[in-house]
Amino acid sequence: MSTESADPGLALHHITVRFGGLLALDDVSLRVPPGRVVGIIGPNGAGKTTLFNVICGFVTPQSGALTLDGRPFRPRPHQLSGRGITRTLQGVGQFNGMTVLENVQVGARRRDDDAWAALERCEVAEHAHRRPGELPYAKRKRVELARALAARPRILMLDEPAGGLDTDEIRWLADLIRDTESTVLLVEHHMELVMSVCDEILVLDFGKPIALGTPGEIRSNDRVAEAYLGTAA
Amino acid sequence: MTVIGDRVARATRTAAPRRSRLSPFIVVVVGAVIVVALTYTLPPFRTYQLATVGAYLCVTAGLTVLTGLNGQLSLGHGALMATGAYTLALWQNKFNLLLPGILVAILVTTAVGAVIGLAAARLRGPYLAGLTLAVAVVVPSITSTFDETFNSDQGLSVILNPPPDSMTVEQWQAWVCWGGALITVLALALLTRGRFGRDMRAVRDDETAARLAGISVARTQVTAFVISAACAGLAGALFAIIAQSVSPGAFPLTLSLFLLMAIVIGGLGRLTGALLGAVLLVALPAVAHEIGVAAGSQRLEGNLALTFFGVVLVVVMLAAPGGLASLRLPTRRKRVEPPP
Repeated sequence: MSTESADPGLALHHITVRFGGLLALDDVSLRVPPGRVVGIIGPNGAGKTTLFNVICGFVTPQSGALTLDGRPFRPRPHQLSGRGITRTLQGVGQFNGMTVLENVQVGARRRDDDAWAALERCEVAEHAHRRPGELPYAKRKRVELARALAARPRILMLDEPAGGLDTDEIRWLADLIRDTESTVLLVEHHMELVMSVCDEILVLDFGKPIALGTPGEIRSNDRVAEAYLGTAA
Repeated sequence: MTVIGDRVARATRTAAPRRSRLSPFIVVVVGAVIVVALTYTLPPFRTYQLATVGAYLCVTAGLTVLTGLNGQLSLGHGALMATGAYTLALWQNKFNLLLPGILVAILVTTAVGAVIGLAAARLRGPYLAGLTLAVAVVVPSITSTFDETFNSDQGLSVILNPPPDSMTVEQWQAWVCWGGALITVLALALLTRGRFGRDMRAVRDDETAARLAGISVARTQVTAFVISAACAGLAGALFAIIAQSVSPGAFPLTLSLFLLMAIVIGGLGRLTGALLGAVLLVALPAVAHEIGVAAGSQRLEGNLALTFFGVVLVVVMLAAPGGLASLRLPTRRKRVEPPP
């Protein structure tokens, strides 16, 4: 008997979220097959982070469902890591009272070797015994990324990872996303990064999905240009 | 990874300031030797004060882990101490078996701490402080409500077997109290060095990031509160042994405030700070007493200790924001270079 699921990966089915009178997500559906890099873009307030919060269990949708490998999935934030899903936060969500190594060990849980491997992969191993607060912003972002990678996730959720980074750092980040074996969900405003690493892109506007396609299809979509990218995109 | 990357990583691991698992054991053994030596050299009253420092150390160590490492502010640990003290008194007066009595006192206080901890895990900042403050006020007043059991404001005397002939009462009290304190410190040192310690600090620093890293914030907070309550229960039981009586007047609201100030002055989140705080809890009221007597005012004495604590808190926070335990003698740091 095959152990493979008929519908591998993460899928969102008709997700709707309201905050009082505000419709934050309006009937959003998305499939994230294993190994793919899926971008979620849109103007500020489009619902990108809310969508991440639904996947992480911080927000419960009013309607719709999630499935993981074809099975109903009711996420709870502290169980995500155990299910193979990790996420970085906008800015840097770090434990400033701990060393860089301890920050990453928290993500790695029981496996110290995974913590070191993640630190080395993110090229911050030399700072292992310093506090994150002593490091430049870009290095702190790498530490957070290392913590997410240390859990060896099957799905890696990156919430604006390029925010505040310079060109070289963004190039490094793009290489890391391309090289990772994890499925990647990427919320990002840096269009060059999104277009260069994503296999598929979902565009949200006022909580509503307005386009879904490859970077080439999204670039040439008039609705997306009007709502978000502008004519120069 | 590159060759250079390999070298840097290897050097970094080598240069890691590794903390030995053995060191808390060594500290505890050395501490025990010092305490035993002091009990044979100090006069009886100082030995009694030494015992009191040991009893205080149990509660300050637990509280500094809760507040300093887990970020939960408790103003109710005096009440938890009262729970432990009354439990031991009731047990001793019925069964007169000290060691099981201490264990029962810890268990009962742990259960009370679990109930408070469950509520505390849902509260933050001033709301948590408010809840624990209510506990500090309510628990001692229970003794007045159920005065047939607790004998109201007069409290209960504690039946204890006499100490062995080879030692004085004060020596025996110091040994018992420091036995409890050193076991507490050892257990907390081992606990906070491992994964649970990391989880507590992660929850303190960023709850959202901690959740996403797979930590159950509520479970971590409740566990921290329960551990801290167990320490307070032990401290209460030891106080009952030292005083050979328990009464609500021994566990006023100011005791909880003193405990909190002591761990902040000593150094929040550090067991060394908890020890320094415990010493201050005994030393400052004694100094206040001396000054009160010298000034010829018994009324002054009651408030002077609190004033002293306030002044010391301000001075220490200005001079050493990390508390007394953060003070270090200036030393030259040894540079660790990666191998060629």
